[in-house]
Amino acid sequence: MLALAEAPEAEKIDLAEVSPADLSLRIPARSPGAGEQYRFHFNMGKCIGCKCCVVACNEQNGNPAEINWRRVGEVEGGWYPNTRRFHISMGCNHCLEPSCLIGCPVEAYTKDSATGIVQHSPDACIGCQYCTWNCSYGVPQYNPERGVVGKCDMCHGRLAEGREPACVYACPEEAIRIEIVRIEEWKRDYADANAPGLPSADDSISTTRITLPRNLPPDTRKSDIYRIRTEAPHWPLVVMTVLTQLSVGTFATLWLLQIFGTSTSLTTTALLALLVGGLALGASTLHLGRPVHAYRALKMWKRSWLSREVLLFTCFSAVAGVYAGLLTLRLPGSSTVGPLTILLGIAGVTASAWIYRVPARPAWNSRHTPADFLLTGALLGLLFAGACGVISGRALMIGSVIAASAQLLNQATKFLWMTASESHELRSTARLLSTTLASQFLTRAGLLIAGGAVLPLFSQGRLSTSAAFAVALAGEILGRYLFFVSVVPKNMAAPYLAAEQSAA
Amino acid sequence: MSLKRNLGLDILSEKYAYATDEITGYTSARKIPDNWVATTCGYCSVGCGMFVGVKDGRAVAVRGNPAHPVNSGTLCPKGLAEHYTLEAPDRVKYPLLRKNGKFTRISWNEALDAMAENFLAVQAKHGPEALGIISTGQLVTEEYYTLGKLVQLGFGTSNYDGNTTLCMSTAVSGYKRSFGSDGPPGAYEDLQKADVVFLIGANIAENHPILCQHLEANPRKTLIVADPRVTKTAMISDVFLPLKPRSDIALINGMIHVLIQAGMIDRDYIAHHTTGFEELAQAVRKYTPRYVSEITGLEEELILKVAFLYGNAKAAFIGWTMGVNHSTKGTETVNAINNLALITGNIGRDGASPFSITGQCNAMGTRESGFASSLPGYRKFENADDRRELAHLWGIPQERIPAARGLAYPDIVEAAVKKKIRALWVIATNPIVSFPNLGVLRQSLESVDFLVVQDGFHPTPTSELAHLVLPAAIWGEKEGTYTNSERRVSKVNRAVNPPGEAKPDFEIFLNMAKKLGCYDELFPGWGTPRDAFEEWKRVSAGRLCDYSGMSYELIEQHGGIQWPFPQGTQQVTTSRLYVDGRFQTEDGRARLFCVEWEPFPEQPSAEFPFVLNTGRTVEHWHTRTKTGQVPILERMAPNAWLEMNPKDAHKLKLRLHDRVDVVSRRGRISSVELRVTEIVAPGQVFVPFHFVETNANQVTQSAFDPISREPNYKQSAVRVEKSEKFGEPRGKARLRRRSLWPRRQRSSSL
Repeated sequence: MLALAEAPEAEKIDLAEVSPADLSLRIPARSPGAGEQYRFHFNMGKCIGCKCCVVACNEQNGNPAEINWRRVGEVEGGWYPNTRRFHISMGCNHCLEPSCLIGCPVEAYTKDSATGIVQHSPDACIGCQYCTWNCSYGVPQYNPERGVVGKCDMCHGRLAEGREPACVYACPEEAIRIEIVRIEEWKRDYADANAPGLPSADDSISTTRITLPRNLPPDTRKSDIYRIRTEAPHWPLVVMTVLTQLSVGTFATLWLLQIFGTSTSLTTTALLALLVGGLALGASTLHLGRPVHAYRALKMWKRSWLSREVLLFTCFSAVAGVYAGLLTLRLPGSSTVGPLTILLGIAGVTASAWIYRVPARPAWNSRHTPADFLLTGALLGLLFAGACGVISGRALMIGSVIAASAQLLNQATKFLWMTASESHELRSTARLLSTTLASQFLTRAGLLIAGGAVLPLFSQGRLSTSAAFAVALAGEILGRYLFFVSVVPKNMAAPYLAAEQSAA
Repeated sequence: MSLKRNLGLDILSEKYAYATDEITGYTSARKIPDNWVATTCGYCSVGCGMFVGVKDGRAVAVRGNPAHPVNSGTLCPKGLAEHYTLEAPDRVKYPLLRKNGKFTRISWNEALDAMAENFLAVQAKHGPEALGIISTGQLVTEEYYTLGKLVQLGFGTSNYDGNTTLCMSTAVSGYKRSFGSDGPPGAYEDLQKADVVFLIGANIAENHPILCQHLEANPRKTLIVADPRVTKTAMISDVFLPLKPRSDIALINGMIHVLIQAGMIDRDYIAHHTTGFEELAQAVRKYTPRYVSEITGLEEELILKVAFLYGNAKAAFIGWTMGVNHSTKGTETVNAINNLALITGNIGRDGASPFSITGQCNAMGTRESGFASSLPGYRKFENADDRRELAHLWGIPQERIPAARGLAYPDIVEAAVKKKIRALWVIATNPIVSFPNLGVLRQSLESVDFLVVQDGFHPTPTSELAHLVLPAAIWGEKEGTYTNSERRVSKVNRAVNPPGEAKPDFEIFLNMAKKLGCYDELFPGWGTPRDAFEEWKRVSAGRLCDYSGMSYELIEQHGGIQWPFPQGTQQVTTSRLYVDGRFQTEDGRARLFCVEWEPFPEQPSAEFPFVLNTGRTVEHWHTRTKTGQVPILERMAPNAWLEMNPKDAHKLKLRLHDRVDVVSRRGRISSVELRVTEIVAPGQVFVPFHFVETNANQVTQSAFDPISREPNYKQSAVRVEKSEKFGEPRGKARLRRRSLWPRRQRSSSL
């Protein structure tokens, strides 16, 4: 049992030339030049997990205890007495392809051209929290007191004064430093951004360079790996997604009925569907930290799926309004406005789904998500039209059974895919659905079968169709709730002990 | 929340604004103070220099002092959030007297009357020895000096001890036996100058993180760490010795044996400066590498390697903390450590020292100036010359100075259970969480006729039991000096006023003296801590801990001054003790003690198969009366955990994050979160002691070092069971845990 923890020789030599007060080693002596930017360097072998950086960061930025722009996590490996526990201290990685910035609908994020620092403007932010879903490292955090997100800005204000960032200054081990990185070189080879306990740097090309200890045991992994918690349900979004899909599905049903030459008046149903869609869009603003600035979300449609969703649903609502008006007033042109409505609606639902297709949230990031959203629309649209009395009989039965079966198949294959996955996050989502959330998951399936297949199969009367619609709606709402709470995001390793969940 | 906020028109821009402070630079605007007050950190004994930022009479920020020799500007996470302790919700603001079971606000005059009446009544009926005082390592030196005189000469009792007996008394006893006096001989600078640093039972990366930067600044060193648990410190070591619990004496004796055999000892130093070498050489003969290997579980090769590393070092430093001190063999372990240092001449030189790393911010101050386990100035009760000198300095008859120390902390507790102590004054400590074997301690506190708790916080688990609560100022609200582990005396200053009617302990002591009528005799004309400091300087003059050349101004100027600093000292430099090889014994020689390894008292059994180790985590300080109220620290370490090796967890069918109970012959810790980890060896478990909610001292034992009276907190035999409450939603468990204290009594108190 010769337990020799070899000291990394290279570092010893390096240190011999360093005096603790030597500032130039903690931050670069010059500003980044062309094709360069600042980055963090973290030396995992030096960090003793004292968390000085966490407290110093909170003091620097005046953040409440629940919000930590710099966090320290644990990884552990080896066998007694050759056990190694290392700590990872991380702020923002000021990525080359920052997913927070790319997803942001309002351009609250900018990547500073001189320093490469990814900065966030609380004034521009509307508090949609999409960046908190996009970042694989869980860097941006929502501050409910302010209604906006915030994140590490590498203390750019201090760097500009020639001072070290608060975390760098506070570290008694000099484990955190600021360096200059050549962007093109780093793009070609950013392997040093990866470390046990961190998500792959592929998602956004993190610029943080991590020096790993030499004697890292091969089984080193996150300490918090068995602590899986449910995420926030985001109720306004549950309501918004399900109801917009219902609205689009209803209009699609109406248009099909129109093509097939139905004799029934579609007016009431169209107006109701329009109302539901409008309510859904209204409800979605409740999700925002700053609802009054919701309109700003249209801004970044060239880049952000969230902007596109808002834009497409806005257009959909307008065109659907025209369509409903034409139907009501029995004016010509509804046959051309109809397809446009459906097209915009489907595009909206698809954009909606693509919002969730982010690498940072593996359980959302698959084709199952658009399938889920479109099938919810198809099923609820049909049954809603049925409940309104514009469709009944065999068409309703067949349509509904097909949509429900497809949705059931979609959910089942998704679950199996996650169970069999190599990804910790996907398996954890499957585990949540089969343990903590098992009863809700089964209920969701039961409601889908009952509302989508059993009830429509046995009776196509208006009353039972209304019941079927209510049951199916409950099923889809529960399903969407599970969609939000069961996602296990990628993140950096956390400490073993769980802090109370932050509001983000 | 306002409508403007809900709509998103108001994002609290002002609150979250930044601005540039001329000293600290760009930072949160509301953390920029009007002025910075220089002081010393009030948590541990490292003694970091720092500033408290004050704005509109409130402490809004802290920062490390970049010019301070101890910390060069850094602070640990507790220190970085220390200003939050000043406005913690449970600060006690008014004196409280228990009337009909309820705490009722009273005036200071009534409070001091109540205390004097009750203490004097007990004294009259049962004699002065029926009074007991348990103090702390958290006060300033001026307060210890004042309290010692008040207790011993005012109240006339010697049954006075501090919670320092729970952490440092072993080091004190060990130093006294080996060197003739207390006093850590080395300096932090030695960590930078040694070529071998040997840490025994000391997890400095967790408990004294700022010391690590001194290690970090020494690229030449070989760091050897001996600990049964793979601590953060073990992980930064070059050579780790995962020895079996409490086998350190065998290891050290084995090293001494190897070095004697190999001739790697300093015969010249031994001949001129020590006595007892022949006996020691004889005694360690049986500690062959093979025998030591059997006891420690370390390979023979490793034992030889470590002995040679130490023996070959030009300067070797040994540091230790609670792994050594918390033991029935603690004092003897310290003697073994001192033996090793002495026979190799590793003392009194740059980088070479057997060095006890102290616990509390001013445990050293009470050791020097207190009047508890020794007379002020490291004078001995049993030495008539010392008593005569002190009586002369104070102008009192020599007979008034006791010739023997009174009861030590554990013996005060026992005496209270036996009704020999009837009135107890507990100052700035929280025994309900910190004293071993809670059942006995609780009985003791409930047995006394009158319990006074003087603290900055209420309710604490201890103050809940009090008859009288005296509200005290804490760090940041009062003035004085702290001495750190390396004998550096640093200045502590008032940055803000105490809340409500809380007063500095110094004022409370002087007012008590006025009530007792001994103020004019013992503290003539005293009003400020400086008065006590000036007298203490005179009392310390000529002693090992000589303060006589210091002044508040000089201390502030140099960021602390190490003693001895006799009057007339010209330069402030790093100081070491015993540089000339002359010790504080009568013949000037250090004593080599023969020390035998023995198994620890409570061996594991079939019923209690695990050896329980206790310890700390970096986020919390002691019993969490302070850090438990600092949100960011609580968030980072919200609850206790029990570390268990995966092999044992597998056998017991336990999984990570399970809730488990830890059971010993004496009690049960309920519902602690299990951490399955290779950090601990099979057969051992570890729990941090900070948390009253899962109080580790429900299972620890009443076993004490016979010399130092320090408790044997470590190595309790326990079993681990899955908690019945397991499976309950976390939120509920948390609520219940919180409700244990301190909220329960808030409604009934003011």
